[in-house]
Amino acid sequence: MDRLAKRYLRSRKIPGTTCSGCGLGQVHKKVLLAIEQLGLGTKDIVWGTGIGCAGRQIFNTWKGDNFAGTHGRVYALATGLRLALPEERKIILTAGDGDAFGIGLLHLLHCARRNLDVTVVVADNFGCQSTGGQYGCTTPRGYVTDSSPYGVREPGWLENGLDILDMLRDAGATFLARHSSFEGQSAVDSCAQAIRHKGFSLVHFIYPCVTHFGAVSLQSGDKARIFRWFEGLFRPEAGNSGDPRFRSGVYHDAGSSRPEFASSLKEWTRTVRREAAGRD
Amino acid sequence: MRKLFDTGNAAITEGAILAGCSLFAGYPITPATEIAENMSRRLPRVGGYYIQAEDETAALHICIGGSLGGLKAMTATSGPGYVLYADPYGWAIGSEIPVVIVNAQRVGPVSGITGAPGQGEFYLSRYPTHGGNFETIVLAPNCAQEAFSMTVEAFSLAERFRTPVTLLADQLVTDGWESFEIPEDAEELRAAGLRVIPRYVHPGPRFYPFEDALDVPPVVLGCGLGGACSDWTPTEEGYDTEEREAQMQHAHRLIHKIRAHRHLIDRHEGYGLEDEPDIVLVSYGSPSRVVRSAVTEARRQGYSAGCIRLQSLWPFQDHLFRRNAVYLAVELNAEGQLVREIERAARRGAHFFGTCGELPSVAALLEAVRRLGEGHAPEPARWEREAW
Repeated sequence: MDRLAKRYLRSRKIPGTTCSGCGLGQVHKKVLLAIEQLGLGTKDIVWGTGIGCAGRQIFNTWKGDNFAGTHGRVYALATGLRLALPEERKIILTAGDGDAFGIGLLHLLHCARRNLDVTVVVADNFGCQSTGGQYGCTTPRGYVTDSSPYGVREPGWLENGLDILDMLRDAGATFLARHSSFEGQSAVDSCAQAIRHKGFSLVHFIYPCVTHFGAVSLQSGDKARIFRWFEGLFRPEAGNSGDPRFRSGVYHDAGSSRPEFASSLKEWTRTVRREAAGRD
Repeated sequence: MRKLFDTGNAAITEGAILAGCSLFAGYPITPATEIAENMSRRLPRVGGYYIQAEDETAALHICIGGSLGGLKAMTATSGPGYVLYADPYGWAIGSEIPVVIVNAQRVGPVSGITGAPGQGEFYLSRYPTHGGNFETIVLAPNCAQEAFSMTVEAFSLAERFRTPVTLLADQLVTDGWESFEIPEDAEELRAAGLRVIPRYVHPGPRFYPFEDALDVPPVVLGCGLGGACSDWTPTEEGYDTEEREAQMQHAHRLIHKIRAHRHLIDRHEGYGLEDEPDIVLVSYGSPSRVVRSAVTEARRQGYSAGCIRLQSLWPFQDHLFRRNAVYLAVELNAEGQLVREIERAARRGAHFFGTCGELPSVAALLEAVRRLGEGHAPEPARWEREAW
């Protein structure tokens, strides 16, 4: 067994149940490498997951404490949990594109507004793949999926001048990064920065689904060709094919410019308590 | 005992603080807003946290998240917010997370009249989420004193049964001003028949399903005990599974942990039942106070009448409805919800007297008793008589 798996993962969940060729394992590995790089142990982190491929496959892989929330609400669960946990305990949430940017976007934005100290890892496979390959809010326009047989007719969060990370930045997120699952150390570094960051951090990983998006939308059973297509999304020089193009790396780092929600609420509570005790 | 003159909402707040609540997340809604306001003032002074959530779905999730980390938590709302709890309510039932939920019922459907009482969530509080395979615990106060004590009890039941508990109040109970007393020390607490259960932490590694055992500590995350809970059917260690056997055991646990210990939940108040009355009026919440007056007057006038007031609604107390009497359900809704459950429990028909947005009058209930005494149906509602 891989040293990371041995140290951080539950043997019962290894190997995982992802499809052959799925990029989710690579995303998970980047986060684990970052945890190792930071020298954190299993008791330092509580790991939450959402619904869909990313949530179901990652749930309870972590050797420490785990929870899997209802669809899109794991951010609200984490808000309460953050207040209950000691400040040094980390919360990492792994969720899919539908969970974070679709059904759970309201809660995600409010976590950003509050600058809640959590690290959200969005594992984006361009749609609802766990249910068999329907389009979602990050599926590029025009592509055929099982629920868009004539091509996706609505604009996604990642094209036509829209970028979900812009919205999260404007909502108050203090650390944002984007990578593909193919990237190496640069992605690990972003994850490490995100986990170390005290405040709301989010790393948006785009990874290939070979079973549905690859087979139906890209009409290819050739994994190498699917991988190249995904890699191409991160090469702006690849020309204007109509597909979205992304820059990888840290997108936004506001450091400690905004107070973190839970620690400032705890500090304020201590102040109120002291003053009340003084008056009584 | 500390004597207060305040609203039911204030009584609920005091009950929560006494029970050790340290997290309240809510979204303001009439007629429960005052609970949020009171908690925002009281909680920081005892080291607790108040969060105004983005919506009710988030509110209950935040409470459950806090409870998952070891904090006792409560939220409060009215009907329009209670329906938004469906998602986290189910999660808390399935993962067995203690949490207290207050519903100050108002007349509906949907927004209805914000400042008028209703009893439209009788069944919703039994089935607050999808999927089935569970029992719920629901208490129903009819005055400020009981709003206080039942809040304390709700926290204890939530801890002992590892489940959400709903306090199903109504606008008249929560908004009404009354005197109530609060125990000031452990002795007074005991004398009041109340008990505060601290939060214990389950050591693992087996977190589920424990058949019907009571007092199993809940999963608490953040202690590094390898706790795991999810929305899926759990294995004993909390892994998600698709084994039918695990699903059966999970369902058995959620149902029978409550049914097997229902004597700790069941509570009711009877009046005039000792002389085996011919007519028994049944109610809960604020209408029960009018019912009591009407039955007292009916008995004074010589009618063979008594009444049952349900203080716990779910699990339903079937055994109370095995009398050889005519039952009349008095409810704050026009379609009849409680009456259906009485009919099921009694295994025969029961009568219904409903009002919509306001309490019935003693005179109207007396008239209903008179008609029942003569073998007629109770006076039909006015709209039935006039329009159709």
